[in-house]
Amino acid sequence: MKNAKNRKNKLFSPEYFWFDFVKLTAAPGILWFRPKKLYESEAAKKKIKGPAILISNHIGTIDPMYLMLVIWYRRHRFICKSELMSSKRGAFWLKKFRCIPIDNGDMSFTAMRQITDVLKNGELVSMFPEGAVHTQSDTPSSFKSGMILMSLQGGAPIIPIYIKPRKHFYERITAVIGEPFSVTEKYGERPKFSQIDEAAKLLHEKEMRLMQICNNYKNKKETDENG
Amino acid sequence: MQMKREEITEKLKDILISASDDPQTAEKCTDDSKLQTELGMTSVNMLYTVIAIEETFDIRFDDVTVSSFETFGDVVDYIEKKLS
Repeated sequence: MKNAKNRKNKLFSPEYFWFDFVKLTAAPGILWFRPKKLYESEAAKKKIKGPAILISNHIGTIDPMYLMLVIWYRRHRFICKSELMSSKRGAFWLKKFRCIPIDNGDMSFTAMRQITDVLKNGELVSMFPEGAVHTQSDTPSSFKSGMILMSLQGGAPIIPIYIKPRKHFYERITAVIGEPFSVTEKYGERPKFSQIDEAAKLLHEKEMRLMQICNNYKNKKETDENG
Repeated sequence: MQMKREEITEKLKDILISASDDPQTAEKCTDDSKLQTELGMTSVNMLYTVIAIEETFDIRFDDVTVSSFETFGDVVDYIEKKLS
C-alpha cells in the first residue's frame, strides 16, 4: 500500500506542482538544450537514488535550471540565500519551488534541521557551496563547509557536479558528474572541526578535477573539429 | 532532568575537546571565553556543537541563530534554562 502511494507520489505530488509544471512545459527546450554529460568514473554513472546533496559551481542565476537538466529524473530542493526571499515576488516563487532559504553568515538551527529532515525523507537537496555567483573565471572559488554538516546529519552522500559556462546561448551545456562522496565513510560519524574544513577542501579539489575533465574534453573536441 | 551548572560546563567542555584539535581547549573554556575570537569557532563549528549538545543533553534548541551566543557561558546558561 505504501509502495503504491510512493509510486503515485513519484509521478504526481501537489507539493511539487510548479516544479513539475515548469519541467513539462519546458520539455522542448529541455530536449534542445539537453546537457552533454561527462562522468568522473563508472561509479558516477549510477542513477542517484535516495537522499543526496548535489553541489555545483555557481556561474550564473540560471544554474538551478542547469542542475535540473543534468539530473532531470529527480525533483530538487534548492538551498537559496535568504536575501532572495526579501522581495515579495522572489519569496512567492521560491516558496512555490520549495526552496530552502538560509542565511550564509548566520545560519539558524531551524534551517539546518529543515534540511536534515528533507534528506531523511529521501529527497535531493541541491546547492552551490561557493555561496554566491562566481563569474570572474571558470575556476570555482572555495567551498563553504555547511554541506558537510548536512551530509552528516541527513545521512546523504555529496555528489559534485561541474557546469561549464557556455560561450553562446544556443550551445548545449557540458556538465561533469563526480563520484558520490561519503563524509561518514571518510571521517566517521563524529569528525573533528578541522576534518569538516578538510572535507570541504577535498570536495573543492574534486570539483577542480571535474573542471579539468571538462576542459580536456572540450580541447579534444576542438582539435578534432579543426582537423 | 536536573543538572548542576558545573556538570553542564564539564559536559560542554568534553564536547568541545573531542571536536577540537587545539590541546588547550579545556583551559580556554571559561564562562567569559568568546566563542568566535577566543575559542576560534566558526558558524559551522557552532552548528556542529549544537547538534552534539542536543544529543548529549537530550534537549532541542529553539529557533536561535549562531550569533545568539557570544560566550561559552551563554551556551551553558541556555542549556541550564532548557534543563530546568
